[in-house]
Amino acid sequence: MAAPRRFGALPRWITHLADSALPFLLPALAINVAIILIPGLLTIAMAFFEWDGASTPAFVGLDNFRTIFTDPVFFSALFNNIKWTVIFLTIPIAMGLGAGSLLLVARRGRTFFQVVYFLPVIIATVVVARVWQGMIYNPESGLVGWFKFYGITLADPLTQPPTALYAVASVDLWHWWGFLAVIFFAAYRQVDSAQIEAAVIDGASFFQLMRYVLIPAIRPTITLMIIMTIIWSFLAFDFVYVLTQGGPAYASEVLSTLSYRYAFYNYTMGPAAAVALVISFFGLIATFFYVRIQQREGVR
Amino acid sequence: MKTMKTMKNYERKRRVEGFLLKKTKLDFMARVATLTAAATLSTSAWADGPITLWYQRGGNPEQQRILQKDLVEPFNAAHPTTPLTLDVLAGGSGDKKIRMAVISGKGPDIVMTPGPSTTLALVQSDHLLPLDDYIKKYNLDKRILSPVLRTGEYKGHNYALPRTFETMVLYYNKTLFDKNGWAPPKTMAELNIIAEALLAKNITPFSVGNGDWRAANEWHVSVVLNHYAGPENIFKALKGEIPWTDPVFAQAIDVLKNWYQKGWFGKNYFSLTGDQQALLLAKGEAGMAPNGTFSFDNMVAAFKQTGQELGVAPFPTLRDGLPYPIYAIGTGSTMSINKDSANPDAAAAFLDYLYSDAFYDRISKDWPGDWNLPLTSIDEAKLSKNVSPIFAATFTAFSKAVAQGNYGYTTWTFWPPATEDYLIHGIEQVWLGQISTTDYLGKMQEIFAKEMSEGKVPPPAAR
Repeated sequence: MAAPRRFGALPRWITHLADSALPFLLPALAINVAIILIPGLLTIAMAFFEWDGASTPAFVGLDNFRTIFTDPVFFSALFNNIKWTVIFLTIPIAMGLGAGSLLLVARRGRTFFQVVYFLPVIIATVVVARVWQGMIYNPESGLVGWFKFYGITLADPLTQPPTALYAVASVDLWHWWGFLAVIFFAAYRQVDSAQIEAAVIDGASFFQLMRYVLIPAIRPTITLMIIMTIIWSFLAFDFVYVLTQGGPAYASEVLSTLSYRYAFYNYTMGPAAAVALVISFFGLIATFFYVRIQQREGVR
Repeated sequence: MKTMKTMKNYERKRRVEGFLLKKTKLDFMARVATLTAAATLSTSAWADGPITLWYQRGGNPEQQRILQKDLVEPFNAAHPTTPLTLDVLAGGSGDKKIRMAVISGKGPDIVMTPGPSTTLALVQSDHLLPLDDYIKKYNLDKRILSPVLRTGEYKGHNYALPRTFETMVLYYNKTLFDKNGWAPPKTMAELNIIAEALLAKNITPFSVGNGDWRAANEWHVSVVLNHYAGPENIFKALKGEIPWTDPVFAQAIDVLKNWYQKGWFGKNYFSLTGDQQALLLAKGEAGMAPNGTFSFDNMVAAFKQTGQELGVAPFPTLRDGLPYPIYAIGTGSTMSINKDSANPDAAAAFLDYLYSDAFYDRISKDWPGDWNLPLTSIDEAKLSKNVSPIFAATFTAFSKAVAQGNYGYTTWTFWPPATEDYLIHGIEQVWLGQISTTDYLGKMQEIFAKEMSEGKVPPPAAR
């Protein structure tokens, strides 16, 4: 016998939905739609309009994309983002894996070191940036200036075009790598201790343990962190903005600071939205690969 | 056939419906209540009620205390039915917050912006009230210096009153100059002599930097454009009569490029903060500093620390044939009335207080550096009672020169936004030898022409 219809005369598909998980998803979905989807769609639309933020927008088709693709700063910013991605895919992940495994091995002081590594992550980015700018890099009031007393004159790395981007990236690295260390440590702890013990009994050295047991075991976590790093690298903004605002002479300009300048200094929202779409495009590629990898691992 | 389950669900449904019905009833009554309350309150708010000012430039606790004491309390004492509520926005992005709020129809009654090019966008999108009637009512056109007042004009109406007027001057270490028997330079030749002599002694000629304010680059561009190319040429270029690629501008930028590349700016231009620049000058490790009158407080504080003597002089004329002294006018911030203000009359009364001698007397004692109102009544004798003689002398000379027509145009007041942004960042490429002066001015002209065709250039007042 068919299930009796409930809620009076409502059609069956609604009752099916009501029975499903939808009511539980609705609140989060509503917030997502209002705060993420709608503004996202508006940004995509804005990339094809010309708007100064105050008057009425005017449709301009692909003009905004033409504007950004003929701006040499756009390509140097894109290249800076790629450099940033390469830096963050290698150094902090290697440091995080190493530190995580050290935390795993150490019994005593484990909590203490976890806290020490994680502390920079929880300090506000502006504070971190100002400390590095004023107390470390500054040639008058910082560590760089202190070397003058020993006869070594160093230039402020933030002010030389060849080193500006790397100087900013170093600050973000210092701020960020502890997060990865803690994440990887948590992942290591999920590894079946029997496997580790078996390897140790078989006479594996520390590096062999890492290479053959630990890292393969936490591969899903590493993959996730790699994809997130790629996405976050294209979003990098705060340290560049506070430390150099993209200077000197656009040497440390990244796509998000470029977008910000277009929007809030030049008051041209169209190109800003176009740059934002380019950023999202790279994020989308990374997400696509992540989903593919996940599906493949699911099959296995 | 109804099962037990369906019976229960049926009851549940009835209960839910009953609850909803009750809720709707409550809702309806609540709505009626609020509407009536709003109606009664709003009718009284048209005549009385607080007016708001969002102070866009930010301020530390001491400065906030000064604002309360000198700006808010005396006004509120005189206007108890329309008191002023002051909101000090954190410095840096206050102007963007105000702009967003005003555009969305909310925002403060009194709109404070960082200058005419920001105000222009708000005027064009019809968010600011024309102030002509209030100017006449309170005689503000007689109380505010005319060329500065006119920076707020657009299409025949005035929309913004200038809150600070500022200019670029040459600060110098008087102790150092006296020791070497130098007088502050008045011409390019004199400037060259002193700068070369300083370099020979391993002293940085100009203590400048953009470590904490990247836009400091435009101070120096303003200086060479006004004091080499001259205000008449700038006026023509801003009206579109000559291009920015004109040879006189190219020569001006070359002067600036040479200063940087010869080492007149020192090695740490991109790292030095305002405080550090002032301190270097005060210690005698630098000889001069082209900077704005807005940095007066900084300089005075630094020189107090080291005990050396501060000197201020007008910036030298860099090309023969130009008058001396020239003061480039900067309107560091403006005050307007929000078109959506519920109480524009009270806002105007506040502006009347703002430009009064009573207020200027109070604020110049406590915080002169940021509140240089362009009043016609600025008098050296009166001013020296409250501020250092050197500040009084500089300001009186500045206002006199402006009143006589010897004024120029700072880039942050008279340039449209995208051109100004390129001016700031592009000059770094010129300094670092990445692009040529021709390329720099060519790109600037391109951006300027586009903004001009879009009506984004704030029109300069006739000379």
